[in-house]
Amino acid sequence: MHTHIISLLVEDHPGVLTRMSGMFTMRGINITSLTVSPCEKEGLSRMTVAIEGSESELEQVRKQLSNLIEVVKVVDLAEKKAIIRDLCLMKVHVKDSNARSTVMQLAESYGAKIVDATLDSLIIELTEEPKTIDRFLELMKHFGVKQSFRTGVTAIGIGAGVEK
Amino acid sequence: MAKEKLSGAEIVVDELKNEGVEVAFGIPGGVLLDLYEVLYKEDAVRHILMRHEQCAAHAADGYARVSGKTGVCIATSGPGATNLVTGLANASMDSVPVVALTGQVPTSAIGSNAFQEASTFTITMPVTKYNFLVTRTKDLPKVIHNAFYIANTGRKGVVLIDLPKDVLATKAEVDLHPKETFAGYKPNIKPNQIQIKKAVEALVNAERPLILAGGGIISADAAEELRHLAEFLGAPVVTTLMGKGAIPEGHPFSLGMAGMHGRIYANRAINECDALLAVGTRFSDRLTGWQLDQFAPDATLIHVDIDAAEINKNVQVDIPIVGDVKLALADIIKWLEKKKRTAGTNENVWVQRIRKMHSACEECIKDVRREGTSQSDMLIKELNRILDDDTIITTEVGQCQMFAAHYYMTKKPRTFVTSGGLGTMGFGFPAAIGAKVAAPDKKVVDIAGDGSFLMTCQDLATCVESDIPVVVCIFDNRYLGMVRQWQELFFEKRYSQTGLGVTPDFVKLAEAFSCYGERVEKPEDLKDALHNAFESGKPAVIDMVVDKEDKILPMIPPGGGVIGMIGTERCTRI
Ligand SMILES: Cc1ncc(C[n+]2csc(CCOP(=O)(O)OP(=O)(O)O)c2C)c(N)n1
Ligand SMILES: [Mg+2]
Repeated sequence: MHTHIISLLVEDHPGVLTRMSGMFTMRGINITSLTVSPCEKEGLSRMTVAIEGSESELEQVRKQLSNLIEVVKVVDLAEKKAIIRDLCLMKVHVKDSNARSTVMQLAESYGAKIVDATLDSLIIELTEEPKTIDRFLELMKHFGVKQSFRTGVTAIGIGAGVEK
Repeated sequence: MAKEKLSGAEIVVDELKNEGVEVAFGIPGGVLLDLYEVLYKEDAVRHILMRHEQCAAHAADGYARVSGKTGVCIATSGPGATNLVTGLANASMDSVPVVALTGQVPTSAIGSNAFQEASTFTITMPVTKYNFLVTRTKDLPKVIHNAFYIANTGRKGVVLIDLPKDVLATKAEVDLHPKETFAGYKPNIKPNQIQIKKAVEALVNAERPLILAGGGIISADAAEELRHLAEFLGAPVVTTLMGKGAIPEGHPFSLGMAGMHGRIYANRAINECDALLAVGTRFSDRLTGWQLDQFAPDATLIHVDIDAAEINKNVQVDIPIVGDVKLALADIIKWLEKKKRTAGTNENVWVQRIRKMHSACEECIKDVRREGTSQSDMLIKELNRILDDDTIITTEVGQCQMFAAHYYMTKKPRTFVTSGGLGTMGFGFPAAIGAKVAAPDKKVVDIAGDGSFLMTCQDLATCVESDIPVVVCIFDNRYLGMVRQWQELFFEKRYSQTGLGVTPDFVKLAEAFSCYGERVEKPEDLKDALHNAFESGKPAVIDMVVDKEDKILPMIPPGGGVIGMIGTERCTRI
């Protein structure tokens, strides 16, 4: 079992998201995250799908995705050859000034931003690779994570090249 | 073409004509009044009024399988659309080109639980290749053009267009007959020549080559190429259920249908071959059984299919070729003709073995008085003698279907129409209606079960009203026979809910619809009954009494493989 990241260029039609997620549901494939956004090409959107599965399952998924009418391009982003990012917003409980300063130090060392603060809580924003976010969230649990929100991964191939 | 101001309904009908649509099977409703108003005025598109929307979809499906053209069905919003679903799923599973038009509540009412509203778009997404919910009249030309393009290219399939009432009623200025298609849809058709050469190499070096022909051969109109290749290569051909008709059964290289209810030697050949060229098949479990180690264990597996997603899905292959089956076979033949077969001396052993296998099965199918022969298989053997090669057979689902698949000698492509993937009881009769509309000069016979026929028999009314004289031959065993067979074999004869009890008098049922009806008690009386049915010029029902507890054997039992068939006592040993 591996996490695979697939980047898709899709025509921006109504229902395209339903169709996409329906394809995964129908084939019993679990997606860990799915993001959609407009891209530099008009009328097209970019989707990033992260799925867990074996190499052969991935092969099936890739082919089934290519079969979808709206899918213009399917790119498999190998971990080493891509910049992968996830964004997390979390509300962390800080019971005293001690906790507050430790949390702020940790946030700084992870490159996270404090975006809001009250007397007993902080809202922290971290944009990083999913693994790093996992670790940071794990640390924050010591203080108490009241809520956390993640956008899901988006990814881009490294270097100057672009998929045609 | 110049811009014209037309109503949505007028645009739809104009575009249908432009796509070459001659006939549509449907039932109107409130939201479709504008469309039916245009159909009333236009006579270019023939509309056949069905008595159930499921039948409209099956008729469009049968029409498409027989003609190769895209079948069209029409249903109203809500219940009309939901009634279509089984038919669409059926056509989808067997990759049949069908375009369905459904009415929808006005765009302003969508999502409000309006009268007769159902979310057709989401309900039908999993049973279509693609579907549209049209929200602007001006989008109609492009939508309809793409619907037909998608349905009948690549791996063929079903496209549904959901048409809200206001979209049909509103007028818009549009460019008719656009050519534009979707950027993401490029049906892959040209096979890779490197793969073709690898396949040719494997085939010439094989001592025991075998061809497995699936429905893709028929759908791609590649039967000529297949036969040529088999003869040139000296390779026998086995087919799937969907591939029946890809090669004339009875041809010296034909070993008939393989799989769960296939012929024993078709399955053996799969087990024994050393190169298997599988063309236009998806290796369904009904073909392979469940012991995949018995499925061509020593063979180099070559798989040709239009759908890349079928490669390595159910079985791992050595040489995949993605592309149009007709082109791929032509390419293989082209390269093969430049080669000499280099197979060793064992080649003759294989040829001898195939010859024996062939005659063992043919013997079994021709011999009416064979030991263990039952009324059911005798009836099909009779049909083989009575009907000409052009007759189109459709089937229901159950033992009747498998008796037909096993014993009926299909000689031409597009003459054996059956529900393969979905196994839909009630399919055969409405499919026969579509078949007869596609080929009015050919005889059309539905080989039916008593259980199946009762699921869609109301469309006898359609046959009478629209003058579509098809003949339904019912295997009257008063059982849901196939399920009963499994209960007999694997559940110690506990016949839970499979007895049909007092079934209707099918002769009177036929007469009640103003059709011709006749009962046949003995197989030898079938000939006269069929003669009378065809002579009557009417739609007809022949009620054929068969042994109640007859079984279709041999079969691969659940969990078994291609060399583990049971009930082989009737088969000739070689
Ligand atoms: C719509 C539908 N419902 C249920 C089934 C399950 N099923 C498969 S075969 C069969 C029995 C068919 O009975 P009949 O039409 O009388 O044919 P027979 O097997 O007796 O020849 C049933 C119930 C099915 N295939 N399709
Ligand atoms: Mg029956």
